Amino acid sequence: MNTRVLLLYQKPHFIFFPAYAMAADDLMSSQKSHRMRKSGPTMRKKSEIDKKKRGVADNKQPNPRAFSVRSVVKAKRLKIRAVEKEQRRIHLPTADRTYGEPPPFVVVVQGPPGVGKSLVIKSLVKHFTHQNVPEVRGPITIVQGKKKRIQFVECPNDINGMIDCAKVADLAILLIDGSYGFEMETFEFLNIMQVHGFPKVMGVLTHLDKFKDVKKLRKTKQRLKHRFWTEIYNGAKLFYLSGLIHGKYSQREVLNLSRFISVIKFHPLSWRTSHPYVLADRLEDVTPPEKVQMDKKCDRNITLYGYLRGCNLKKGMKVHIAGVGDYSLAGVTALPDPCPLPSAAKKKGLRDREKLFYAPMSGIGDLLYDKDAVYININDHLVQYSKTDEENGEPANKGRGKDVGEDLVKSLQNTKYSVDEKLDKTFINLFGKKTSASSERKLEADAQSSPEGSDAESSEESQSDDDVDDHEMDVDSNDGKIKEKTELRGGRLRRKAIFKDEVDDSDEDGDDDDEEAEDAESDGNEDEDGEDESVSDSQDSDEDDVEESEDKVLGNISKWKEPLKEKGRKKNPNLMQIVYGASASSATALINENNEISDDEDFFKPKGEHSKNLGGGLDAGHVNSEDCSKFVNYGNLKNWKEKEVCEDIRDRFTTGDWSKAALRNKNSVAGDEGEDDELYGDFEDLETGEKHNDHENMESGTNEDVEAAERRLKKLALRAKFDAQYPFLLECHHLTILSTISFADKSELEDEDNDNGDGINPRNSEAKEPGFVDKLKEELEIRKQMNLLELNDLDEDTRIEIEGFRTGTYLRLEIHNVPYEMVDFFDPCHPVLIGGIGFGEDSAGYMQARLKKHRWHKKVLKTRDPIIVSIGWRRYQTIPVYAIEDRNGRHRMLKYTPEHMHCLAMFWGPLVPPNTGFVAFQNLSSNQTGFRITATSVVLEYNHQTHIAKKIKLVGHPCKIKKNTAFIKDMFTSDLEIARFEGSSVRTVSGIRGQVKKAGKNMLDNNAQEGIARCTFEDQIKMSDIVFLRAWTPVEVPQFYNPLTTALQPRDKTWTGMKTFRELRSEHNIPIPVNKDSLYKPIERKTKKFNPLVIPKKLQAELPFASKPKNKPARKRPDLDARRAVVMEPEERKAHAVVQHYKLISKVKTNKKKAKEQEKRKAYEAEKAKKEVVSKKRNREERRERYRTEDKQKKKMRRGQD
Amino acid sequence: MGKTTYKRLKGSQSFRQRLLLATLSSTPIIIDEIRADDMITGLLRHEMSLLRLFESVSDDCVVEVNETGTRLKYKPGIIMGGKNLVHSCALTRSMGYYLEPLLVLGLFGKKPLSIRLKGVTDDPKDLSVDTVRNATLHILKRFGVPSEGLDLKIEARGVAPEGGGEVLLTVPNVQSLTAVQWVEEGMVKKIRGWTFSARVSSDFEHSMRFAARGVFNNLLPDVHIFNDHKSGPHAGKSPGYGISLVAETTAGCYISADTAVSCGRADETGEIDVERQERKPAEDTGVEIASWLLQEIEKGGVVDSTHQGLLFILCALCQQDVSKVRVGTLSPYGVETLRNLKEFLGVTFSFRPDPSTGTVILTCVGSGLINLSRKLS
Repeated sequence: MNTRVLLLYQKPHFIFFPAYAMAADDLMSSQKSHRMRKSGPTMRKKSEIDKKKRGVADNKQPNPRAFSVRSVVKAKRLKIRAVEKEQRRIHLPTADRTYGEPPPFVVVVQGPPGVGKSLVIKSLVKHFTHQNVPEVRGPITIVQGKKKRIQFVECPNDINGMIDCAKVADLAILLIDGSYGFEMETFEFLNIMQVHGFPKVMGVLTHLDKFKDVKKLRKTKQRLKHRFWTEIYNGAKLFYLSGLIHGKYSQREVLNLSRFISVIKFHPLSWRTSHPYVLADRLEDVTPPEKVQMDKKCDRNITLYGYLRGCNLKKGMKVHIAGVGDYSLAGVTALPDPCPLPSAAKKKGLRDREKLFYAPMSGIGDLLYDKDAVYININDHLVQYSKTDEENGEPANKGRGKDVGEDLVKSLQNTKYSVDEKLDKTFINLFGKKTSASSERKLEADAQSSPEGSDAESSEESQSDDDVDDHEMDVDSNDGKIKEKTELRGGRLRRKAIFKDEVDDSDEDGDDDDEEAEDAESDGNEDEDGEDESVSDSQDSDEDDVEESEDKVLGNISKWKEPLKEKGRKKNPNLMQIVYGASASSATALINENNEISDDEDFFKPKGEHSKNLGGGLDAGHVNSEDCSKFVNYGNLKNWKEKEVCEDIRDRFTTGDWSKAALRNKNSVAGDEGEDDELYGDFEDLETGEKHNDHENMESGTNEDVEAAERRLKKLALRAKFDAQYPFLLECHHLTILSTISFADKSELEDEDNDNGDGINPRNSEAKEPGFVDKLKEELEIRKQMNLLELNDLDEDTRIEIEGFRTGTYLRLEIHNVPYEMVDFFDPCHPVLIGGIGFGEDSAGYMQARLKKHRWHKKVLKTRDPIIVSIGWRRYQTIPVYAIEDRNGRHRMLKYTPEHMHCLAMFWGPLVPPNTGFVAFQNLSSNQTGFRITATSVVLEYNHQTHIAKKIKLVGHPCKIKKNTAFIKDMFTSDLEIARFEGSSVRTVSGIRGQVKKAGKNMLDNNAQEGIARCTFEDQIKMSDIVFLRAWTPVEVPQFYNPLTTALQPRDKTWTGMKTFRELRSEHNIPIPVNKDSLYKPIERKTKKFNPLVIPKKLQAELPFASKPKNKPARKRPDLDARRAVVMEPEERKAHAVVQHYKLISKVKTNKKKAKEQEKRKAYEAEKAKKEVVSKKRNREERRERYRTEDKQKKKMRRGQD
Repeated sequence: MGKTTYKRLKGSQSFRQRLLLATLSSTPIIIDEIRADDMITGLLRHEMSLLRLFESVSDDCVVEVNETGTRLKYKPGIIMGGKNLVHSCALTRSMGYYLEPLLVLGLFGKKPLSIRLKGVTDDPKDLSVDTVRNATLHILKRFGVPSEGLDLKIEARGVAPEGGGEVLLTVPNVQSLTAVQWVEEGMVKKIRGWTFSARVSSDFEHSMRFAARGVFNNLLPDVHIFNDHKSGPHAGKSPGYGISLVAETTAGCYISADTAVSCGRADETGEIDVERQERKPAEDTGVEIASWLLQEIEKGGVVDSTHQGLLFILCALCQQDVSKVRVGTLSPYGVETLRNLKEFLGVTFSFRPDPSTGTVILTCVGSGLINLSRKLS
């Protein structure tokens, strides 16, 4: 209010007296005028607002000259550096050959024991599915989002489990005990992962509630974070779980963790994209029980279940089961997905129903789909009427009386015997519950099958592992279509629901392998067939599950298309059968014959042809037909000189009608289309439909087919990109997408016209020209779309035949003749990894690798000490020989690996492709202190032989010397050996070079011993010379490799293989052998006695006098000078006497002085010794005191920590 | 390493492919009953020679043949390749027989292959070296084989029965082959031909050329047939002449036909081959081959019937992408190839006949074979 008043007051003042005011201004010039503010925060704000008003963009740098180019050279360098940095960031794009739904991503939770791995998994599972997992055993698959599934795996605490986990992990969550710090396991695991292709890694700190001091906590966090970063990369995600609340991690933190997990993007790893692999989440022993009864240790047949990952799996592929060995697959079947992604519908998030999870080893998850049966597990608390209640004897009537239906059901539950058997015993009594139960019991007692015992067993086990105790659910068996089969497996009572029409099939499967393979091929069809046969059955309510599963298998193809497909298949002019023989679906009559042939594994030909065609000729069916690629038959050549005949192929030449020629290709595709129409009736695929349109369009432009096709593919690639960006659209409405795509295509086409097909992405084209990498990416995308296009045209059977099982399918792998130990010692906590073996990877050979001792491993590695390597899918023990490459390309053997350098390692083992990494261990035991990884390495190449050499020095002595020739003994042991070394160079210690010529036997006396070589030297050598020959001798690498069979023994036992020398010596108490020659001894040299120099007389005569030896004969008597007596003068004598006296005096003096000094020193020493004793005593006291206090403190701290 | 498990096969049929595919997929094989009931039992000379060739190109391979030659045990080694290799082929078959598997084998070696083959260069049974040089190598290039280092140099001609020819083959090695989509046949834009005569008058060549060109007169003006008259040491040891025609289309397909005429070679039993006895005049040969070429063109497909096998093998060896090729009527050799591919590499093709043109479109997913023996640089 005040200001306003003031203004009102001021205004008139100015208005009314303007002239006066001006005058006043002029008059009072000395007064300072108002200066606008030019700086400060208010002014800055004002000016910004002002600028915004005026619409001026503010992009002025604070100091524009600061970044101007000062020096051209420097600028150039900077630019180069920037570009190089950019290039280094770029990775070569890899082709993604996974089509369709991806398998669940494997999240491995790893950490040292007691860090809270299971709790993290439990919390995450609880968060995602709202289910409690009693115990984490084996992989747990959950549906995490609409497009994403996750498989949690807990990494066991031993190194074998860690290796297997590292090989399958897509994301590794490393749990670290924050209160303790990093442990070796974490770093070991990191190193293993790095070698086997580095998956994504996330660290999680736990046990942070141990810290009382906030500052200390912060410091620790920071320290650990930085240590983590140095190991992985700066900015690697380290997550903190602050502590437990009611024995659980806090919900908020789990939520955050789950978000981090869900946003992580996985990139393909080269080994895995080229090898199929399955992480089994279920293992069944399907050996015939009678066989097991006969011999408990017989080889077993097992089935393994899991999602196929990596790349497509073809039928005949061999597999490696980690820790067991190599096996060929006896059967592969695609099963309906037990944990499918939700059906596409436009909605946000998941419904509760769709939050499925599947963990058969943990004993949770409701349904198990087998090849021919569905297992239903029902939780105790979900089923009210359970058999245990009955067996306990207390009726489960909770307050209310039981109704008749329940009784009926219960009695049915207890049916252990078929109706016939029961009728035999005449115990049938449906309604009297008690009696029926008793009758059952009697029967059981009779049969001695002791199902009760097994029940008890199962209940015991279920108590121990908190497993779900299965109980028989009522199955409506009104028309006898479904049978029940109860079996005890893996400590659980499980019931198999067998559908009657499939019983026969399963029986046949057991008999006939061929047929089984066929079944495997056409699982989906089998389902269809079954449905067609029994339409009425499919309406049965109890087959709902199966139907659902079928729906999932068929995917988009809805039911109404099935008859069409069926029809199409029949009509198919089956060239495939002609070529590959009528093996498959038809011709059961042929099977017998095939069986006969199958032992010699010939082609799929009916046997009749074999006998018929023995005559000869060019028939393809003949086993001994001539191998000739040309198929010449000049007899029926047309007369091409005639014009009419030529007219037929006129259009195949450029001189012909081009439009007709173009039509030829068109027609063919159109023909295909027609065929397709026949195949599928009026069903038209999205792609084909569009293709058709495309071709119609293309016909207008005559001969631009290639470009048109290219454009079409580009469009497809674009669409794929689009789909990737807006996935939900694809799912909800194909129509809308079609329109959007056509829009996109149009814009794209326009773009292309403008840019001459350069820019694909409009954004890209306007930004900059697409680089090399973009082009590569685009090519790969086009390739992928082409593949999809081609594969989608095929029906499901042929597709599997051609492509193999696609990644992401849930497979049942049957493997025969596995050692019984695998089943006996099966531990669900350890991952079961089944990896496919590529061509040539099952044969063994020598591999050359670039190896480096791990910097944390204390000792260097010794040549020929066995190491355990984990390479590809395998783990095995092998004996390496280390070497280094010399300048001239020679591989010189090394006795020990260098400390901080790479060296070569050659070893024998199953081959892997070059560029495969591996990691080496020496000790697998868990109680070993220190770092267990001894070396990391990468395979360079493989070979059938190694070219390692080591130095050898042959030493010899001359036994006879001629002019420049000498005969050398002791160097070789035989003449044969000399022949081997003919022409090689030798040398004496004095440096005279020479050459080995030949065995010198005939040159010497005939009775000379063997092994004397004739050598020539550049000068005459002496008898005292030592001659040596330096040579290289090849070193053999032992052909030894021993696969680790860790799955065939109790998991807590340490696998022991070949022992090192050191271990053997210490075990047997053998001292290290000492080569006496290698010991250092004091050098004893005889003093050399030289003979007197004799100068020949002739030479002497020519020498100048100065150089002439002056020959003085030795004197017998001393000469005159020495003999002469000296007589002194009296003065002289006096002087001499005086000098002598002085000398004497000084001598006596010094002697006295010396004695005195010595005395003094002695006294000093004594004093010093005394002092020393005292100070020593004091020091000891002090030290004792200090240690005592320190120890006390430590103890206190330790107590505090515990 | 446990016992090696051998794949057991029977008979001498498609011997080359079995060896080739066994080597590439490193599958040890045992072939039984090789011509057990025939007059001449066991492996023939050229088959032994092929085994020798495989031995010289690869390292550490084990070949065991029993006394009668009816049983062969082959354990493949590592394909080495290398320079300055020399192999003298058995004269019972011409070089085309050896070159066909060798071309593919060389691609997957440790080092680029450079080998000198000596023997019969041309005969009517197998591909002539001219055809290999001018058509087959182009097919390889289609699969991503670099064109530098891929060459066949004909240094001397030699025809049956004495041979004496010499060629120098160089094949680069590859990491893997790229899949192809090759259904476009295109139109024939030019026809090239190569005739040769060794130890005979060049008149034979001229008459062949003249006759062959006469056939094409109605269809195409762009026909050129080169002649190659050899004499002296370059002409080999036996007289003969031959022709090879290659039609190139606008889509880059090469359709070929060839033959050679020479004295018949004595069979192992001592009889002279019957069909070889009746030699036609040079003009007739020219007309015949030209007509044969036109017949091949009429059949359609991106390659001629002779190259079908090679095409299928290459498709099957590609990366794990879809290959799609169009061929004319499947030749017996092609069908055999398809069976062998399924047996060894597990690659199955799907077929879609194209009734309007009488061709077949074959689709397959490559086996993803990579060159394992190449050293990591």
